[in-house]
Amino acid sequence: MKQITVTGGKGGTGKSTVATALAVLLGKDYKVLLVDADVDCPNDHLLLGIKRKKVKIVYQRIPKWDFNKCIKCGKCAEVCKTHAIFVVKGKQPIFLPQQCNGCGACILSCPVKALSWKKKEIGFVFKGKKHGIDFISGELKVNEPVSEFVVNAVKKEIKKVESKYDFVLVDTAAGTHCDVIEALKQTDIALAVTEPTPLGEHDLELIIQLIKKLGIKFEIILNRFEEGKSVLIEAAAKRHGKKIMAKIPYKKEIMQAYSKGVPVRDNSIEKIKRLVIE
Amino acid sequence: MKQITILSGKGGVGKSSIAASLAIALSKKHKIVCADCDVDASNLALVFGLKEKNFEQWKKISTNEKAYLNEKKCNGCKKCVDSCYFNAISWNEKKKQPVFDSFSCEGCGVCPMVCPEKAIKLVEVKNAKIGFGETKFGFKVISGQLEMGESGSGKVVAEVKKLAKEQAEDAELMVIDSAAGIGCPVIASVNGSDFVIAVTEPTSSGLSDLKRALQITTHFGIKSGIIINKFDLNLEFTKKIEFFASENNLEIIAKIPYDKSFVDALVDLIPIVVYNPKLETLFTKIVKKIKNNLETNHK
Repeated sequence: MKQITVTGGKGGTGKSTVATALAVLLGKDYKVLLVDADVDCPNDHLLLGIKRKKVKIVYQRIPKWDFNKCIKCGKCAEVCKTHAIFVVKGKQPIFLPQQCNGCGACILSCPVKALSWKKKEIGFVFKGKKHGIDFISGELKVNEPVSEFVVNAVKKEIKKVESKYDFVLVDTAAGTHCDVIEALKQTDIALAVTEPTPLGEHDLELIIQLIKKLGIKFEIILNRFEEGKSVLIEAAAKRHGKKIMAKIPYKKEIMQAYSKGVPVRDNSIEKIKRLVIE
Repeated sequence: MKQITILSGKGGVGKSSIAASLAIALSKKHKIVCADCDVDASNLALVFGLKEKNFEQWKKISTNEKAYLNEKKCNGCKKCVDSCYFNAISWNEKKKQPVFDSFSCEGCGVCPMVCPEKAIKLVEVKNAKIGFGETKFGFKVISGQLEMGESGSGKVVAEVKKLAKEQAEDAELMVIDSAAGIGCPVIASVNGSDFVIAVTEPTSSGLSDLKRALQITTHFGIKSGIIINKFDLNLEFTKKIEFFASENNLEIIAKIPYDKSFVDALVDLIPIVVYNPKLETLFTKIVKKIKNNLETNHK
């Protein structure tokens, strides 16, 4: 099994377009699992018209108080690094579950063991299939801050089934923070998708820094390519000793396919396929 | 100081382009300051043509701590390994010692609490830099950038906003450009806002992500409006977005036609409203609608 992760730093550069198109193309000759790890804004199922089935609820632990035991000492609030607990001296603690990351410091700190665990729903894992490929996706409940827990739950589902596949293709969120890092870990090769603007270049530089820090092999894919306008990205690739792996042209047909929910077909995707098989 | 936040859920729909031009339009009659709260991949200053090296000041900040082990004191009891909710501590059987993964450590402080030998300490990490610079357009932009592999972007967003307030005490308005997604940095950007503009595009992803992003503003009880960018690329979906807006009592602030000059302006690092003066009327209208919304908020 080879895991390929599609990322890019900047939003809207075409991560999902590349991930879905490549998955469908690889699926013609191989067993492929496509994973949408953009749990903030999952879209791959929309692009491929996949009906998803909810297979798992993702929970996070949170503390609860036994106010008969609580002596209102305020220790729980003192140790909470995410400011999820407020204590006004002599009053019962106020708990903000949205801020809690479930670390457990409050429970350890309580001198009278007034705290115990309960769980809250923070997201879901879905499965589906279409175009000859299997699909797993995660989705964070809105207003929940810890995306990485849902990404982790998705990764657990991948672990269970990955041996069945030749390729596992993971599509990440935009940005460079914890949920993207979680999705990138343990990947064999990262594909950084960018666009020929200074913003694309700026964010490409950031995601390459992250990928290098994680010690992962990577390639650069340029989307919305137009002849003569790719100097910035060519130079960025050169700085990292790379050539641009593939250039996806700026074509109306590609944008229309995207907006209709049809996997994009283009020679550039064929090229990516050839190179990742090698 | 009132805060106007631009968000979108989906990335690449035109948040920063629109935020920059909106800021310029607002600055004609108001004293404003801009805060780039996409601390994962900060781009707003670039859209104004302001490069990082031309900022007046950058400073490293710390909003996070991470656990460090004093190996000499460790007795190999594994209590830290079992207690970490973030799987940041694994066990090295050869060395009979725990190994700390700094990418996963949240700095929650549980492992120092359970360590019987006091071998683990929390140490502050410089996980981000924040800075400010003067744009060509008579106002400042404040940016933040998380160091690669560091966590705590929500807290960095709060620091960027704080610096914006310090740097422009007399500003009437703060224009905030948020990150893509709906996670903690976006929640931190929206928190404390007076009005939110959700930018979207007429695609299934655009609409799906718009709905998710607007649930955040509903949660906070913040008034919001919608800008549909590239609306003429798919009129059927634009209708769907308009229907969603009317069902949820959300105002469509503007519909912007697809215009190749948006990309050309980005390439030249010139805000679109300056690059293509035809768009001035459009942005003046947007300003009017925002002001209406801010005033009715007040009542």
